[in-house]
Amino acid sequence: MKLGRLLSFVLIVGITSSVAIVYFYFIQREFSQNHREFLLSINKLENTQNRLTYLILQSSVYAYHNQDEIADTINSFTLEFNHLQNSNILKDDSYAQIKNELMQLEQMLTAYLQDIENYLMLNAEIKNSIVFLTRHVDNASFLQKEDKDIYIKANQILKQFHDAKRMQDLDYLQKSSFLLDLTSNNNETKKFIHNFNNHSDYLTQKYPLFVTITKKVLNNDIRMTIHHTRKTFSYISINDFKALDIFASILFSVFIFALLIIVTLFLKYIKENKNLLKTKESLEYSLKYDILTNLGNRNALETELKSLGDPYILVINIDGFKHINDIYGNGIGNRLLQELANLISAKVMHVRHAKAYRLGGDEFGILFHDTPRQKVLSFAHSLIEEISQKDFMIQTLELHLLVSVVSNNTFPILENADLALKLLKKDHAKRFLEYKESLNLKKSVQENLDTVEKIKNAIANDRIVPFYQPIINLQTLKIEKYEALVRLKLQDGTFLAPYKFLETSKKTPYYREITTIMVEKVLKELKEHPSLRFSINMSMIDILDEEIVNMLLKKLKDNAPTSSRLDIELLESENLQNISKVQNFIEEVKKFGCKILIDDFGSGYSNFSYFSDLNVDMVKIDGSIVNEITTNERKLHMLTSMYQFSQGMGMQSIAEFVETKETALLLRELGVEYGQGYYCGKPLEKPLESDEIII
Amino acid sequence: MHKAFLIFIFIAVTSFANEPISPIPLKNDVNIDKAKLGKELFFDTILSKDNSTACVSCHDVFSGGADKKIVSTGFANKKGNIQSPTVFNAKYNFKQFWNGRADNLLEQADGPMKNPVEHNMDAATIEKRMNTSLHYMKKFKDIYGSSHITYPLVLEAIVEFENALTTPNAKFDKFLRNEIQLSKEELEGYVIFKQYGCVTCHNGINIGGNSFQKIGTFLEYKSTNNYPDRSEITKNPMHKNVFKVPTLRNIALTAPYFHDGSAKTLKQALKSMSQHNLGMELTEKETELLILFLDTLTGEKPKILDEK
Repeated sequence: MKLGRLLSFVLIVGITSSVAIVYFYFIQREFSQNHREFLLSINKLENTQNRLTYLILQSSVYAYHNQDEIADTINSFTLEFNHLQNSNILKDDSYAQIKNELMQLEQMLTAYLQDIENYLMLNAEIKNSIVFLTRHVDNASFLQKEDKDIYIKANQILKQFHDAKRMQDLDYLQKSSFLLDLTSNNNETKKFIHNFNNHSDYLTQKYPLFVTITKKVLNNDIRMTIHHTRKTFSYISINDFKALDIFASILFSVFIFALLIIVTLFLKYIKENKNLLKTKESLEYSLKYDILTNLGNRNALETELKSLGDPYILVINIDGFKHINDIYGNGIGNRLLQELANLISAKVMHVRHAKAYRLGGDEFGILFHDTPRQKVLSFAHSLIEEISQKDFMIQTLELHLLVSVVSNNTFPILENADLALKLLKKDHAKRFLEYKESLNLKKSVQENLDTVEKIKNAIANDRIVPFYQPIINLQTLKIEKYEALVRLKLQDGTFLAPYKFLETSKKTPYYREITTIMVEKVLKELKEHPSLRFSINMSMIDILDEEIVNMLLKKLKDNAPTSSRLDIELLESENLQNISKVQNFIEEVKKFGCKILIDDFGSGYSNFSYFSDLNVDMVKIDGSIVNEITTNERKLHMLTSMYQFSQGMGMQSIAEFVETKETALLLRELGVEYGQGYYCGKPLEKPLESDEIII
Repeated sequence: MHKAFLIFIFIAVTSFANEPISPIPLKNDVNIDKAKLGKELFFDTILSKDNSTACVSCHDVFSGGADKKIVSTGFANKKGNIQSPTVFNAKYNFKQFWNGRADNLLEQADGPMKNPVEHNMDAATIEKRMNTSLHYMKKFKDIYGSSHITYPLVLEAIVEFENALTTPNAKFDKFLRNEIQLSKEELEGYVIFKQYGCVTCHNGINIGGNSFQKIGTFLEYKSTNNYPDRSEITKNPMHKNVFKVPTLRNIALTAPYFHDGSAKTLKQALKSMSQHNLGMELTEKETELLILFLDTLTGEKPKILDEK
């Protein structure tokens, strides 16, 4: 959007400045041309005038002279002036002053040309008379005999006329008389004198006028005026040039500006293109390669698998890699993965038809093809050996790794290898497993899928139901409590025990629903048995699930006071990190009157420390101890100790797995408060009507 | 050979330079088609209001290009006020008309057309008439590319004809070009022409026609009539009786002489000129020699006149 607007802006600026440049070019060209023409014209006018002056001087020197050139020059002078007056540039108002000056000049020129005309006429007349007088005197040599004085005088006068013409000075003419006296009686002499005096008289009359007009023609202001006009013109036109300059600068700036934007955009475009290309490359790379180890990734392996006819895979998994990350941090973990990748690819390099991949977090794969089974297996063992021997040096740490490796050449290659790996992982002692159909691994997958389907169906059809197993007070032999146990009712009416579906459900969202259904149904049943207490099972992991805890607390609150008779059996679990959450939970439920039981005490992760941290009311002693007390002294001792420990802690005890009369009686004798087991009563769909039990 | 030619040119040019008179150029650039069209127009009375007068009526190109009458007769037999000058070599005159009121032939040609005692026409009428003539329309179309005839085009054609009316190769021109020798008398006449000051005004290519001068500088010339002289243009009383110095080319053929046609013969004209403008009397001998010289100024008849 922003780029689009910028582009159209640049486009408009570009087009506008281009048009303006073209416009400017024409304006400037026309102006320069007109300017040049005017100056040329005024120069010509000046030259013509100079030429004219020269010709006039020439004409005054020669006795006779071809006047064609003067006539031509006068004509071209007039033409040139008209041309100047009609100059295009004068159409502009700013040159009005020039126009005025030219108008003044025109008047001067008219007068000047008139003067030249007059000068030329007078010049011709005077020249002719002087020529006449010269010839007249030349031809009068007869005078030398009789009228020598006249002859001498005539020559003197002639000389003075010549001087006067040359010097253009009237003083020469004012000094004396230029006429000859009529002193002779000779007729020829008289005629000579008459003609001489005629011309002499004529010359003395015309001389003053001639001198004046000659001076006028030769000394005039026209040159200065033209010069001045040219100066004025230059002064005015300089402003126009300045304006053109400014205009050109602005245009140029705009043009450069637009160009800069275009260049910037172009550079930006190139840069972005480069980035895109880089991104594309890295995307393409990461599509096929693992960035951390530079091995091919799972994707690449799957692609490769499709094109191979006879694949054989090894999947390598690092044992307990999670712990390495937890202890040393991801940085070290990643370095370790790289080292391992280096090791694997170095080893693979020496094998034909094999390539290494990183399949996921701590999982590597080596894909063979056209390789016999034996070779793959020996490679696997050698790899396991090599890795276990290797000291991985990461920074200053020396680390050791164990790997689990599975091999497979049965389709689907990867899935089967994964299944095999899962199986292998369960056995910490084994390092290598070869996938075989006989492992039946696929069946369990199918079973899981079936189970999930069953759970889904059961929830939808209200077939999650609680069963109730009686808990007997061994002293009174009366049923005081029931443990609620979850059952999944199948369509055929049979029931699935928890171990058949509960573990699977924990990996699905149905688990919470199952818990909710149980709490609801148990509370509902409890309401009908005011003299009994029920207990339900919860693992400590459940307690960390806020949603489940909130649901339970809400149900307890909604069902008070019935809920005061609901007890919680906590199942210990591995890695209970957040003990305070459990403490909080216990406090919360105790507010409703619930009691807390520790389930299966004496097995698994039993930990005495709980009892110091948790406010527990009762302990359920694990069946593995209870069911052998009649035959195994050690177990009996254990049970006795546990009972005494409970008593000391102010807790009551419930013995699980009470399956024989003997066991029940022994427990009663030992003083254990409660018993539970098949001898006391199997889990039932509903609690019994009577609380009496016959032992 | 080439060098010899260049040397010849050099000598020829330098030798003219010393003489105040120059020969009529042998090469005369005219557009012959336009000139021929102009010739036709020059002879055509269609250009006068009453179809009585053509240019040639007063400028007899078959004799001296001027009128033998003292003043010409134009529209409705009206008489003009001045002696008709020759059209020959008119292109070399610095101004046109006796008083120089036209700067060039184009301006000049416009004058007689509109003069009520000459053609008595106007531009619109001429155009109207011309554009009804299929003959002229075709000719103008051929030459000017448009069959619509305008007044300026008519004038231009006539002027082009007049430009062709030069009379080169006069005996004197050949002498100036060193092609021939003048006879002893002719040469003597030329020397007198120069020595006595005739050449002061009559010089240049047209032996005149390049300056104004007063008739009667020395001795006042009394005209019988009021002629349109230079003072009509300049409004300067000093310019009374000032006229353009007329050409002396073909002078033997263009009698009568002066603006008023007062001199019927060359002899009379020489007598008058020497008295009024030179302040002297010519002897019989001098007059004779001068006339012999003036006769050498008659050139060849313009070629265009023989063109069909």
